[in-house]
Amino acid sequence: MEYVLHIGIMLSIYVILVLSTNLTVGMANLLTMCQAAFYGVGAYIGTFFLMQYNLPFVVVALAVMLATGLTSLLVSFASVNLKGDYFILGTLGFQMIVYTILYNWIDVTRGPYGISGIPSIQILGIGSLEEIYSYFFLALMLAVLVALIFSQLQRSPYGRILKAIRQDELSAQSLGRNTTRLKTWAFFISAAFAGLAGLLYASYVSYIDPTSFTLNESIFIITALFIGGIGSRVWGPIVGAAVVVILPELLRFVGLPDAVAASLRQVIYGVVLIVLMFLRPQGLLGNAKLK
Amino acid sequence: MNDIRMSCFDLHTEVFNLLDGVNMSVEEGKVTALIGGNGAGKTTLFNIISGFEKDFKGRVSFMGQDITHKSAYRISLMGLGRLFQGRQLMDDLTLMENMKIASEDTVGEHPFDIFRPWKVAKNEAVKEQKAIDVLIKVFGENNKYLGMLDRKASEFSYGEQRLMAMARLLMAKDQLLLLDEPTSGVNPSYINVFQRIIRDMVEKEGLSVLLIEHNMSFVRQVADWCFYLSDGKIVKSGPADMVLDDIEVRRDYLGL
Repeated sequence: MEYVLHIGIMLSIYVILVLSTNLTVGMANLLTMCQAAFYGVGAYIGTFFLMQYNLPFVVVALAVMLATGLTSLLVSFASVNLKGDYFILGTLGFQMIVYTILYNWIDVTRGPYGISGIPSIQILGIGSLEEIYSYFFLALMLAVLVALIFSQLQRSPYGRILKAIRQDELSAQSLGRNTTRLKTWAFFISAAFAGLAGLLYASYVSYIDPTSFTLNESIFIITALFIGGIGSRVWGPIVGAAVVVILPELLRFVGLPDAVAASLRQVIYGVVLIVLMFLRPQGLLGNAKLK
Repeated sequence: MNDIRMSCFDLHTEVFNLLDGVNMSVEEGKVTALIGGNGAGKTTLFNIISGFEKDFKGRVSFMGQDITHKSAYRISLMGLGRLFQGRQLMDDLTLMENMKIASEDTVGEHPFDIFRPWKVAKNEAVKEQKAIDVLIKVFGENNKYLGMLDRKASEFSYGEQRLMAMARLLMAKDQLLLLDEPTSGVNPSYINVFQRIIRDMVEKEGLSVLLIEHNMSFVRQVADWCFYLSDGKIVKSGPADMVLDDIEVRRDYLGL
């Protein structure tokens, strides 16, 4: 049973991550390669709060989201006005920088040794979540809440204007829309929720090191999004996250050695992605293609 | 007077050698046409006026305010609307959504507005009514588009999309519209509709129009004033009929 709950928690974390990525990639047409960097920033800042202060979860979560969102401004100022491939390179650069800092700033992040013994989450300051099923319900509740928020955002006039920008940014500007500001907000919110996923992850596994927040992880998140489908629905990202979280678990039952299973997993993701690009470029449930 | 004064254009020659000392003003309540061959600099001039081209020297003023090098969206908010050449509605959006994104009311377009749904719903209702009013104004009572508000823009023909892209400019409180080849690529049966809409925009809505157009009979029908641009210079200007009948214009541009 614990195993199923563990899968459920990881799935919830990835649902939040992939949904947050859909706002930038699917809605605002900003193919970001640094989602794992925000995930990592959230995890490390969250760890700091959990270890230093005994604050209720809501306060820690809001602080982490705000801090991660503010970090996104570093990328936005440099990258949001870059077009297409240059934007991708800009975010790639940020991903590299964050990883390098996490890895080398040993005094603060403990670098490759990682940080262990991260305390569990305090709910309302009265008790901490130690049982796995409590974590499962918290993670599930958050994933549902985040899905509702993104669903609402996508149906709102803000979602509409992001769709317009994705389609024709020049026309949106000529209709009086500050597209830079609108995209910067998309980036901010996306980063904030990736940070929340990081906080959940850090407190759940109680140990973090930089290898969880590499470029590979960013690509992994994007892969999940492309499999599920980009665009204006929340079901695409949810299904994408489910595929990438549950598929490797299914491989366990085939009985392959661990080393082979890990490599096979990468191969399967690659093949799934290539097949989808040919047969269904908008992903399983998506309604938009990358421009 | 809607006053776009552009003087002393001296574009960086390594980037542009198209415009050379263009100095023109557009009169309020008039349709002004800008004609000239390909590469004469017409669209560059539009980009300069509407803030999409910043690499130039000179000055652009609008309604007495200096708009030189201002951002495109700020210029738009000052009352300057633009229809791009070859662009139409946003395909992924419905007709109604396309109309709404042209409104000057941006309530709801901030992500945190999801926390004040009542205010947003109220403003959305006002925008919807405005969109319906605009469609009635442009296409008449009981026009077929009123029953197609939820259709994706991609379901409309190119000509219809161009018409609606022009109509949606009425959603904002614009003073001057820059229309870049509104009739290019459009079925000839729509040309009269474009003509009527543009004249109505000027005569009934009190707007001013600056128009780039290659269809000379259209220019003759719709324009009050005309500038002939050649090699980055305004070579002729005057009442539309006079410029179009000018021997030099007929010979160099129209090849007559």
